[in-house]
Amino acid sequence: MGKIIIEVKGLTKTYDGKRVVDNISFFVKKGEIFGLIGPNGAGKTTIIKILTTLVKPDEGEVFINGIDLLKYPQEIKKIIGVTPQENNLDRDLTVYETLLIYGKLHKVKDLKKEIEKMLKLMELWERKDSLVFTLSGGMQRRLVIARALLPDPPILFLDEPTVGLDPQIRKFIWEIIRKSKAKGKTIILTTHYIEEAESLCERVGIIHKGKLIAIGTPSELKEKLGRFVVEHINGDGRLIQWICKTEKEAYQLIQEKKIPLTIRHINLEDVFINLTGRKIR
Amino acid sequence: MKINIWDWYPIFLKEMIIFKRKLFKLGYLLSAMVVPIIYLIVFGFGLGRSVQISSQDYLNFLIPGLVAMSSMTNSYNWIVNSINLGRLYFKTFQIFIQAPISFFHIILGEVFSGMIKGFFAAFLIILVGILTSSKNFITLPFLIALFLNCFLFASLGFNVGLISKGHEETATYSNFFILPMAFFCGTFFPLDRIPYIFKPIIYILPLTHTNILIRKSFLDKEALISLFVLISYSIFLFVLGVRFMKQYSE
Repeated sequence: MGKIIIEVKGLTKTYDGKRVVDNISFFVKKGEIFGLIGPNGAGKTTIIKILTTLVKPDEGEVFINGIDLLKYPQEIKKIIGVTPQENNLDRDLTVYETLLIYGKLHKVKDLKKEIEKMLKLMELWERKDSLVFTLSGGMQRRLVIARALLPDPPILFLDEPTVGLDPQIRKFIWEIIRKSKAKGKTIILTTHYIEEAESLCERVGIIHKGKLIAIGTPSELKEKLGRFVVEHINGDGRLIQWICKTEKEAYQLIQEKKIPLTIRHINLEDVFINLTGRKIR
Repeated sequence: MKINIWDWYPIFLKEMIIFKRKLFKLGYLLSAMVVPIIYLIVFGFGLGRSVQISSQDYLNFLIPGLVAMSSMTNSYNWIVNSINLGRLYFKTFQIFIQAPISFFHIILGEVFSGMIKGFFAAFLIILVGILTSSKNFITLPFLIALFLNCFLFASLGFNVGLISKGHEETATYSNFFILPMAFFCGTFFPLDRIPYIFKPIIYILPLTHTNILIRKSFLDKEALISLFVLISYSIFLFVLGVRFMKQYSE
């Protein structure tokens, strides 16, 4: 097992009497992509905000690279990069100015060279003099990720990095995330896209109503439940599903039922539905 | 943590880039200047030559007051809007919170940028004053008062921007605090004309002391008291900002 770089113990946060993060504990290993998955409002963003110093927890401890987050937040800020859920960009700055200000805040060396490199990597160099508000949603997202990567932090927090983006840009951002992992960065991402979690994450934690209800590798979580899903849409349009442990079991079921059925591999959404009784939205 | 004394600079730079960009939009410049110019025309040029106050033309009396008022509103408003909108709506304030710089430097960067806005507004009034006034009003107390006034109200703006739960709430602070100060703290008429029972309240408010100091030719006893009050307010509001920042949590 690799070295633990993030350790979260008993994290709790309450807003207006409602526990949005409820006694959550997990760890992240150095160099891995760890995903927090769950529906909107599950508490994923609040966890990210706590880990990135924006929100103070009511209870719990967080250690990042062995440093106590609550005691030494300034030290943590030196080693993390953050992509928030919203594109928190200054509309009145240009693309280049956005990175210039951020680079200066984070004391990036050879800043001009690094900005050029980053903008070329993100395919934004041609738009470097454009004001942020003139960029498309996909370009703004790429700029937010470029900003987080500019100081070359060893740990990246990506909160819903591809939400609302078209498939082409989504794939582009996945490539950037994979390249960052290849460079040895530790990445914590939240998503409610199952395909994204399965494609990128080595381990995932499933969050539901502020609680961590399951944790493990995607294949571990899926295999606990089964391997195949047999589905039938009945006359009322209702989806009926059977979970099978083996392919043989699935085909037996198809033969027995004598109704139109489809068979597919189990995915993390099936795990989530099985655990919570509802879909990830 | 190693402290770099220039850590405030990126924040200041960002605000200045935005300020410069907005400055070239004519509507923005005019809207910032329209209130003091109206006062100058109505009270200054309307009454200015015919009314004597404190044994001088009213216009000579009014111009330093307008400098105080205009620098107050511009320093304050710039920071209030920048912090409050950046915190609650555009979320751009998060970038500063997550940067490896101290809260002290975040406030310093914002306050300096608010001061520049205040100085700029003051500069335009001073320019009009130089062209129209028969008296040299730019003295050492004038410059000290202007500097402290901008610092103080930019710091106040930072705190209000930080604690307001919505943008409408910032308007409440303006209506109950900034606007009355503009009218009752000696901008338009001498403080000795204020009814006796209101004087204790008026003398608590910082703009009163800016108006006292800004009209002085030299640092006499009254000026030194006002100077002390302005410095005290400046330190208090700045330290309060650091304290609010330490408690910052979304």
